Amino acid sequence: MTTYVESTVRFPYKRSLGPVIGQFMTGLTEARLLGIRADDRVIVPPVEWDPETGEQLAHEFVEVGPAGTVRSWCWVEKPTTQHPLDRPFAFALIELDGASTGFLHAVDAGRREAMTTGMRVVPRWRTERRGHITDVEAFVPGDQPLPVERAEPAGEPVTMMTYDAEVHYLTPVTENETRVGQAAAEGRFLGLRCPRCARLYVGGKNDCPICAVALTPQDEVDLPQRGTITNYVIITPVQYPGQTETEPFARVHVLLDGVDVVLMFQPVVDLANDDVRPGVRVSAVWTPPDGTGRRALAGWRPTGEPDVDDPALVNRIH
Amino acid sequence: MSKNPCAIIGIGQTQHKSRRWDVSLGGLVREAASRALEDARLTWADVDAVVLGKAPDLFEGVMKPELYLTDALGAAGKPMFRVHTAGSVGGTTGIVAAHLVETGIHRTVLAVAYQKQSEGNAQFALGSGKGASLGAGGAFAPYMRSYIHRTGAPLDVGPMVAVKDRQNALKNPYAHLKLADISLEKVKASQMMWDPIRYLESCPSSDGACAVVLTDEAGGLAAAADGRPPAWVLASAVRSEPSSFPGRDAVWSAGAADCAADVYRQAGITRPREQIDCAELYVPFSWYEPMWLEAHHIVGHGEGWKLTERGDTALGGAFPVNMSGGVLSTNPIGASGLLRFAEAALQVRGMAGEHQVDGARVALAQAYGASAQYFSMWLVGSSPDPFA
Ligand SMILES: [Zn+2]
Repeated sequence: MTTYVESTVRFPYKRSLGPVIGQFMTGLTEARLLGIRADDRVIVPPVEWDPETGEQLAHEFVEVGPAGTVRSWCWVEKPTTQHPLDRPFAFALIELDGASTGFLHAVDAGRREAMTTGMRVVPRWRTERRGHITDVEAFVPGDQPLPVERAEPAGEPVTMMTYDAEVHYLTPVTENETRVGQAAAEGRFLGLRCPRCARLYVGGKNDCPICAVALTPQDEVDLPQRGTITNYVIITPVQYPGQTETEPFARVHVLLDGVDVVLMFQPVVDLANDDVRPGVRVSAVWTPPDGTGRRALAGWRPTGEPDVDDPALVNRIH
Repeated sequence: MSKNPCAIIGIGQTQHKSRRWDVSLGGLVREAASRALEDARLTWADVDAVVLGKAPDLFEGVMKPELYLTDALGAAGKPMFRVHTAGSVGGTTGIVAAHLVETGIHRTVLAVAYQKQSEGNAQFALGSGKGASLGAGGAFAPYMRSYIHRTGAPLDVGPMVAVKDRQNALKNPYAHLKLADISLEKVKASQMMWDPIRYLESCPSSDGACAVVLTDEAGGLAAAADGRPPAWVLASAVRSEPSSFPGRDAVWSAGAADCAADVYRQAGITRPREQIDCAELYVPFSWYEPMWLEAHHIVGHGEGWKLTERGDTALGGAFPVNMSGGVLSTNPIGASGLLRFAEAALQVRGMAGEHQVDGARVALAQAYGASAQYFSMWLVGSSPDPFA
């Protein structure tokens, strides 16, 4: 049975809109839907370049809609937090009156049976509009424009928008990775020895990268928990959404005793940044058991032994 | 293996800045591509296929940008290829485009690479969206420390590279950083970011794009007859290796050596230092100049820093490196590789303006990516057979 680890990555991306989409977004703040003329067609939302020829389009904007005709749709029965509505709705390609292209938006029809291809819809505008596609909350069935609050011209043109991206990952965990986690929960370091070349790896790998043979639980060995710092970096953290660090922090490479295994970019415990150097003897520090009795590696703490005096240590990176 | 000649007849790039909020993403790539077509005296209709490169999608949060940018690159109804090789991607994008011409699949190909770093955050993206990102500087600091240790290079060599590349950038109208008052003292006084790398020994975050038009022999000869010298692709190669394996040498890596050896073999080069006139190497952190000179066997191991220290790699030196100002002055990550490849072509076309190396006939370009594990290189010449 495959197990999975769930994780979510979020980031507030910026978008510079440029002269054409910027104009469209500015129109939204005024509760107007704009297209751009391309020969005898009107493209909505407007595009900067002719999709047929690649030539730049003149900035000839055309107001379209507000009513339109649904040309195609699909029902979303279980909306996620990223969907425009929190109840079942349709995503639809809407040909706005005066437009030559389909405009993708949500239709708040209440129930699937209310949706038909060819139905007429009108936009339901938000009261607070900021120059974003969600300024239209959704389209609703009907042919008569709904009353719009505060449709006065925009103050400043809209040139930027943010895009709050959220990606949810389900990452499969291999058996070897699961076993490394289980060993760590008991405060053990699992290694794997290649049955062909006898090279020793930190556990969790699926094959020997040199021999390309599979590594299995039969190849497992417990690794020692002492070693020597070979190389390091002190990182000055750059702030970004999701950053957990505010102060410079160390990451060290640890060569485990008696084996050729280097653990890269490890955290340290009770070792000041100024004291981090190649040659420092360290041992593993495990967190106390959590509610389920599981431990995890907290980092590496100096043992107090004299430094290892080997100038070549600094070259031990892998 | 025989292949058809491939000529570079058009080069374009954007004005590179921290924030190009005056244009959309499409507008950014369009600016570079339009300039390349103008340089090649071609129209959108003359392009048979487009190859697009950029760093991973997490940087701007645009998934499948090759589809999104189809209109901007006039690619509707044409083959559009996306290339993914991390930081080396700009170089690989140029090589994929060259292959399409060399194999006779297409006559004229547009290669475009870009990054709009201001729309996201590089440290976030490099840390896979998690906290405590190492960043590129953090990931490479141990490699650089190891290099300094092995070669005994004087600690001033890194700062010297930082000064030299910023001085070159002052001659490049497209470069992002223009540090007119740069000096060794200023570099050494700047904050230590990832020991041994200081703030002024690191690349900036840039918005920018680069585009190159590649065509067949007839197209190259036509441009030459019209008084617009092409650059000829003499050789190209890509190599990669795992980020970590027992015995991996991350400083003088096997991948870097093999990639260069392949390029030299294809071009018939036996003495790279003498036979190549100048090089654009991907140097986002100062120490990578001597490291690449050695890892790519342009000089022997332990000899690279001596070139830098002697001033040989300066614009007027015996072996100029990063005449454009390099990645240290301009870093729209995905485009940075193609900018190196384009600068090499500009040099052998004699069109590099104030940063032209006098009489450059053969130029090398290189890009690398991820944990210094992906490599792409091409060698270009002012004639298809400069060693004949
Ligand atoms: Zn093996």
